[in-house]
Amino acid sequence: MYKLKISDHLILLTGVFFMVAPVVLTFMTSTHDAIAIYKGGVQFLPGDKFLENYETVLFQAGGFTQEVNGFVMLKNSMILGFGFAIGKIVISMLAAYAIVYFRFPFASVCFWIIFATLLLPLEVRILPSYEIVQSLGMVNTYSGLIVPLIASATGTFFFRQFFMSVPDELLEAARIDGAGPWKFFKDILVPLSKTMIAAIFIIMFVFGWNQYLWPTLITTDESLFTLVRGIKQILQVWVGAQIPAFNEAMALAILAMLPPVLIVVIFQSWFVKGLVESDK
Amino acid sequence: MAYRKTVASFVAAAALLGTSTASYAATDIAWWHAMGGRLGEVVVDIANGYNADQDACKITPVFKGTYEETLTAGIAAFRAGEQPNILQVFDAGAATIIGAKGAVIPAQDILENAGVGFDIEDYIDGVRYFYADSDGKMIGMPFNSSTPILYYNVDALKKAGVEAPKTWEEFQEIAPKLKEAGYVPLAQSHLPWIFTENFKSRHNLQFATNNNGYDGSKDTTLVFGEPIKNHFSAVKGWLDDGLFGYYGTGWGDNQTPFNEGKVAMWLGSSGSFGGISKTVDFPFSATYLPYWDAVDGAGTGTFIGGAALFSMSGKSDEENKCVASFFEYLTSPEVQYMWHKETGYVPITNAAYDMAKKDGYYESTPAAEVGIKQLTLPGGEWTKGYRMGFYVQIRDVMNREYGKLMSGETTVEDAFATIEADGNKLLERFSKTTGN
Amino acid sequence: MVPYMLLLPQLAIVTIFFLWPAAEAIQSSFYLEDPFGFGSTFVGLDNFTDMLTSTDYGRVARFTAVFTFFVTFLSLGFALLLAVKADKVLRGASTYKTLLMWVYAVAPPVAGLIGVLLFDQHVGPMVDLFAMFGWKMQIGVNYFDTSFAMIVTAVWKQIPVNFIFFLSGLQGISKSVQEAASIDCRSGFRRFWTVTFPLLAPTGFFLLIINITYAFFDTFGIVDVIVKNEPGNNPVTLVYKVYLDGFRGNDLGGSSAQSVILMALVFILTIIQFRLIERRVHYT
Repeated sequence: MYKLKISDHLILLTGVFFMVAPVVLTFMTSTHDAIAIYKGGVQFLPGDKFLENYETVLFQAGGFTQEVNGFVMLKNSMILGFGFAIGKIVISMLAAYAIVYFRFPFASVCFWIIFATLLLPLEVRILPSYEIVQSLGMVNTYSGLIVPLIASATGTFFFRQFFMSVPDELLEAARIDGAGPWKFFKDILVPLSKTMIAAIFIIMFVFGWNQYLWPTLITTDESLFTLVRGIKQILQVWVGAQIPAFNEAMALAILAMLPPVLIVVIFQSWFVKGLVESDK
Repeated sequence: MAYRKTVASFVAAAALLGTSTASYAATDIAWWHAMGGRLGEVVVDIANGYNADQDACKITPVFKGTYEETLTAGIAAFRAGEQPNILQVFDAGAATIIGAKGAVIPAQDILENAGVGFDIEDYIDGVRYFYADSDGKMIGMPFNSSTPILYYNVDALKKAGVEAPKTWEEFQEIAPKLKEAGYVPLAQSHLPWIFTENFKSRHNLQFATNNNGYDGSKDTTLVFGEPIKNHFSAVKGWLDDGLFGYYGTGWGDNQTPFNEGKVAMWLGSSGSFGGISKTVDFPFSATYLPYWDAVDGAGTGTFIGGAALFSMSGKSDEENKCVASFFEYLTSPEVQYMWHKETGYVPITNAAYDMAKKDGYYESTPAAEVGIKQLTLPGGEWTKGYRMGFYVQIRDVMNREYGKLMSGETTVEDAFATIEADGNKLLERFSKTTGN
Repeated sequence: MVPYMLLLPQLAIVTIFFLWPAAEAIQSSFYLEDPFGFGSTFVGLDNFTDMLTSTDYGRVARFTAVFTFFVTFLSLGFALLLAVKADKVLRGASTYKTLLMWVYAVAPPVAGLIGVLLFDQHVGPMVDLFAMFGWKMQIGVNYFDTSFAMIVTAVWKQIPVNFIFFLSGLQGISKSVQEAASIDCRSGFRRFWTVTFPLLAPTGFFLLIINITYAFFDTFGIVDVIVKNEPGNNPVTLVYKVYLDGFRGNDLGGSSAQSVILMALVFILTIIQFRLIERRVHYT
């Protein structure tokens, strides 16, 4: 049998250090005051400004309209994360259900239209997408933020794959019982998919939460900023002439990563399942 | 059905009622701007001041991000028919908005149509024609206007036993002494703005054909002669000799070492004044942007950077009247003086400048006057500004090539050849967008 | 009617927010348009030739290729190494696993912000560290240094995904195969290359595509934050250039032409990906 060597642990520990240290430094830096960082560089030890900095970032109305604070951004990130994950799951389950369990004309056309979304990541169609959302009057709205993001095919493929693995006997049994398509979906398919739904929910929540480019374009109204979108605002302050508020910037960075990281760590097994299965 | 009709007519009546009452209420106008941080707060103060000053109109300022983001948002909104009444557009975007005939109502027209008097001679020299068309008609109302000046660390210069330089020749003499004293003698924060556009103005040199681009976008090309190439050769030499610091394209990255006391002199915006005085713990002062004495006719004034307010078209007369009355308020000496004091941007009218002088502001803070004095230095043929399309990208090309030059990836000749080639291609593309 | 009703929401969104903009991008790539919409000129393929002949586009494309190469192979390599080791440890296995994968949840711009902090010219500790070895690092000034910081940040962010896939791939290799292998060949290193690695190959190929896509598109946030709004002489990716020309420069035609090129690239990548998935099904 293979003997575990010290070197194996050393490699793993180095890997862990590489992954963790930057965030630890970020956190340490976020507990100092701006002048200390400005003069002394990144901080390796905890400072005494933890409460102060996080309170400022979370509750002090900042920005330029004096309307937005970290708490509002946290709320918006939550809305985006949940809205995106739930919307995507509902829409893609419905679509996958239609594709797998119904025979109808143009089925393959519909499938290919959905498939085409894989060919068109947001980044290659940003400018016209922005214009269209603008012309629909959806700029600076939650729906403009969420809806255009939820249509990509990944979720649909995922559920399609899963539904195809559901044994046909179940459908037969439901037919014999006289259950309609809706009843079959609601009473059999959805309960069966519970774990899958949970897994994909986590992936999609993290994905939605971490969106940057789209929110940057579509929300210019500060009261709609998400935490990740707020990063852009931090940079603008740096470009200006005052002392860069590294402490508050890093506090915001910590806040922006905390919820998705917690979810991934707590629901680790679902998360891994969702990731490995959905990307197949 | 009858029921439905009743409801419909009721709704219509209510809507009518709504509009008629609205005419008694204030007319709302929107102002999209790019003023972040402290500047944004002053913008809000101005808007509040205007709203309190009269009852007919109510202005709402909305922050839209960086200059680039604000312009893009304004353009997209215009295409969707949801443009604000006033859009703040920065110097590099001026050609885009002015070139789009019909997108804006010239500031001069909006003021005259509303019966508010307008005389372009009321505005200070460096500001007057920057946002005007080739006939000298003011299109954009200059708003935050600044100009590049030289800030210096008084202690550093004292330690080295030197005076702040008036010319680059003088700088070359004193720089080694500053280096000996342990300082990086000089840094700057915006190579295209300070060492290109304003270099042209300070030396009264042509920047582009077609009257620096004012006479139309077709066949406009960049003009780079020996003086600017010599200047960049000198700058590169200073960099290699440790007499000049280059910290990248970012504004703050270059200002930081000056604030920290590592760099003795820094070329920045006259609008940086307020920020520096809050940050640094050494005495500092400011003087004019140096020029090369060797260049014939050098020493002329600079022109402004910053941004102007444009009145968007497609709005009702009522709203346009409000825009005019807001412009009138904004350019009043009191507001301009307040803006000048709070932000460090220059006052745009002679009356406001006089008011600041009379108030004794420059006796207590002489450095605050450097910018405006530099703008009112005698001008020349090429000191009123420039007008070029896709100028944001042209600046990016300059930054790229200058960056390469500073890190030794290219030579001065090649850098300018590339800037001319890429820049002229962009100008040609721009002239096609408007159908030429 | 039922299936159409079920498909309607997705099809509607796809049509409005995917197909329509894509068609518009293709159309405007043949025009030069005044940003305000007052005038536009049909210019045929000018936007494409202008773009492909410009010095800058070639430079950006080259950087994107180099960036993609390093990000893909470094993050795959490190992740594979860590996964192989993590697959073997028994004690603390789940702790290692958690600590090595949580960075998945960090948003790219947040990763970029951390990168900016660590590599900052004035306050960054990495700059001090490298200075001890005589490397005077200047992000934002030196093209190479900025590229280095971008690649390190992008690799850091991408290791967890690869790690998770490799680890689950390894754990899918049955224990009996591994035991048989350990009897047949004594050297652990050889055993890895002759037995384990080929069995992981389908996962690896699949991850290759995922990583290329990541380096192309998902690193937008990292690039944007590290260049701090000012492209200057900094390295940027093709996607970032689409954004710069479209949103910063308001050059609709030029930006659209670049989008069309990228669409073609994604098209090719997706076809390869689907070919691979078919193969992958064969393997499993």
